Amino acid sequence: MAETMEGVEGAPQQNGDTQQNSEEKTAADIRSNFSLLERAVTQFDARFTLRALRSISSLRKRLTPEVFARAIALTYPQNAPTAKTLLQALFESENEFRSVMSKIEPPQSNGKQEKEVIPEIDIYLGILLQVYLYDSKRYETGARFSTVLVDRIRELNRRTLDSLAARAYFYLSLFFEELDPKPPSPQSPVISIRKNLLAALRSAVLRKDQDTQAAVIVLLLRNYISTADISQADALVAQTTFPHTAPNNQVARYLYYLGRIRAIQLSYTEAHEHLTSATRKAPSSTVAVGFYQASMKFLIVVELLMGDIPERAVFSQPKLELGLEPYFKLVQAVRAGEMQGFLRIVQQHASTFHHDGTYTLVLRLRQNVIRTGIRMLSLSYSRISLRDICIRLGLESEESAEYIVAKAIRDGVIEATIDHEKGYMQTKQAGDIYATREPAEAFHERIKACLALHDESVKAMRFPMNQHRLELKNAQEARERERELAKEIQDGEIDEDDAAGDFEGL
Amino acid sequence: MAEQEVQTLIKQLNQSLSSRNFTTASSLLSRAKIALLHLNALIPSPGTPGTHLHLARETLELGALISIRLQDPESFTRYFHSLTPFYALPSSRLPKEGGNESKITGLYLLLLLSQGDYAGFHTLLEGLEVAAAEKEEGGRKGLEEDKFIQYPIRLEQALMEGSYDRVWGETKGERVPSEEFGVFSEVLIGTIRAEIASCSEKAYPSIPISNAKNLFFLDSEGAVIQFAQQRGWTARDGRIYFPQQELEALGGSEKDILVTSGQVIENTLGYARELETIV
Repeated sequence: MAETMEGVEGAPQQNGDTQQNSEEKTAADIRSNFSLLERAVTQFDARFTLRALRSISSLRKRLTPEVFARAIALTYPQNAPTAKTLLQALFESENEFRSVMSKIEPPQSNGKQEKEVIPEIDIYLGILLQVYLYDSKRYETGARFSTVLVDRIRELNRRTLDSLAARAYFYLSLFFEELDPKPPSPQSPVISIRKNLLAALRSAVLRKDQDTQAAVIVLLLRNYISTADISQADALVAQTTFPHTAPNNQVARYLYYLGRIRAIQLSYTEAHEHLTSATRKAPSSTVAVGFYQASMKFLIVVELLMGDIPERAVFSQPKLELGLEPYFKLVQAVRAGEMQGFLRIVQQHASTFHHDGTYTLVLRLRQNVIRTGIRMLSLSYSRISLRDICIRLGLESEESAEYIVAKAIRDGVIEATIDHEKGYMQTKQAGDIYATREPAEAFHERIKACLALHDESVKAMRFPMNQHRLELKNAQEARERERELAKEIQDGEIDEDDAAGDFEGL
Repeated sequence: MAEQEVQTLIKQLNQSLSSRNFTTASSLLSRAKIALLHLNALIPSPGTPGTHLHLARETLELGALISIRLQDPESFTRYFHSLTPFYALPSSRLPKEGGNESKITGLYLLLLLSQGDYAGFHTLLEGLEVAAAEKEEGGRKGLEEDKFIQYPIRLEQALMEGSYDRVWGETKGERVPSEEFGVFSEVLIGTIRAEIASCSEKAYPSIPISNAKNLFFLDSEGAVIQFAQQRGWTARDGRIYFPQQELEALGGSEKDILVTSGQVIENTLGYARELETIV
């Protein structure tokens, strides 16, 4: 919010002076992150790097070529090779480069400038540039620059770069997705970066670089799914292990893609589990509404496929209401077991479902609509002729109806028997649900979920570094005291009477 | 030279396919594949000339069709997988015309279906759907109008719904889109018969043999009795009884309790252990 306010205030003035001031301020803000990066390197603590990365979102809206030029000029000595690569990607033409550079006064060379620039700063500036190029829609340049950037990161091979590397790969993949022809075309350039990403994954695993490992696995999955190479995505999941310590956002993404793969492969229970965790792990702020919506859409369809009806409350969440409208109608049709209405909604919203990638899943719902219909009929009638079932569900023939009902009985959807000669379905008396195992099972599920939550919270706790050494030292001392005491007792210096004497004195 | 050899081999293969002489075909095929290897065209690479791509695709397609006729699913699957990179080529390099892409893909879908590999079926379908959605934007026909692809899709839908009479109808001569698809009819009928049987065991207390004949799509009452014996059903007084159902009614509840108590004990012990670690 704060940035937009600033932008609004600055706009009407359009004063050259204030503009230059804000540029200077932004450049200074960028440079203030450098000290964080330096601390991350000296103390070897990734949390400082993460803090620097977090500032990108607030810097993002204020980035201009002038800001970059200023920051680069202040950071690097003139004609440094890194500065040159950054500036080359930044400016489209030589003229633009000159006109901007002429505005910026060369920095006064004082002693501070001579200090060597650590690679973390190079990469950090590189990522900022990636963000800027992406926002200004210069995808080609971005793709080229990103390729150079990730190559450099790989060459450097520093553990303090890990979280930066993860971010750089993320933007690399984003750029390639925007290049024509876009996925799912089989000639899309996204396919060409698979080799790079797989190589990055391999070296990340070998270097125990879990940030990059998690990020690259997610990117590869996204890449495969974008061109509908589901079997390859499945093979990747089977061959790799997702790091436990991955940041929450990556875990959420990973679970989302995993859920999608499993849904396509008809393992709905697994898909449901993954998608539920993905939606729960999704950030609750407004930042990632798109992700939340996308995973919610899949979750709803998978729930329907499992024969469950999603709760009404899901659709009335303010950030979901609009995006989920077609799905809401879909749920209503399935709930009512109304075949005609279902087909109409599928047809009406086919393009939305195609766009969301849920179309094939939605088509599979046909059988669920029929099943719900049968269940409704069996609940409302104790005996109904197959002809009536056929008419009510809009089926083709009585024979079809008979087979469908028989299948529903076998699959445990309804409790009934069919009288073939007289052509009717007779519903069995519904038993008392509390006499079955079902309540116990539902209860067990919930307890399991709570216990898992507890375990995860324990795992997620963070402890101050080196604190355990202090405790170890204390324990060591205590042990030594004990040993001395034991030795003294043995030597007879303090005999049992003495020791007991204290108690008497009390 | 190798190019000419492939061309003559393809001609011979076409002849043997139309004259249904499949035995010589396999040796011809392996010769054709070796010739293609000499041309370095068995796997498309950016440098492969267009004519070679055509030859390779045609050879592999013929191979696929012949292995269907020979009822050799493994070799068909192999051919399908070697054809996939050819189908993925842009139409500017290898025009879709003249190829049998949808036919081969449809056959592969049907093969997956007859093997009961629903996950594989849907995985492939997802890819086709995405590719078709993209083509539709380019003004070409979509998946809905492709009879070779629609056939297995219709069958799958009917199988999942349980409208087995529709599956039966689809396997009849005139509804099958091409001769090769007919090869699977036998397998599919076997599948649906087994499905119907397992449904009937649960759904009917008993049925008359004369009705069972129609229900299981069998030709005579004798065949019904034979089928009933295979499944372990008893035929009495012109009706079929399902012994599994009776057994379940008798011993079901007792066994249930045993299973349940074990489960309950296990769960409770589990809770106790977890509580121990928490407190």
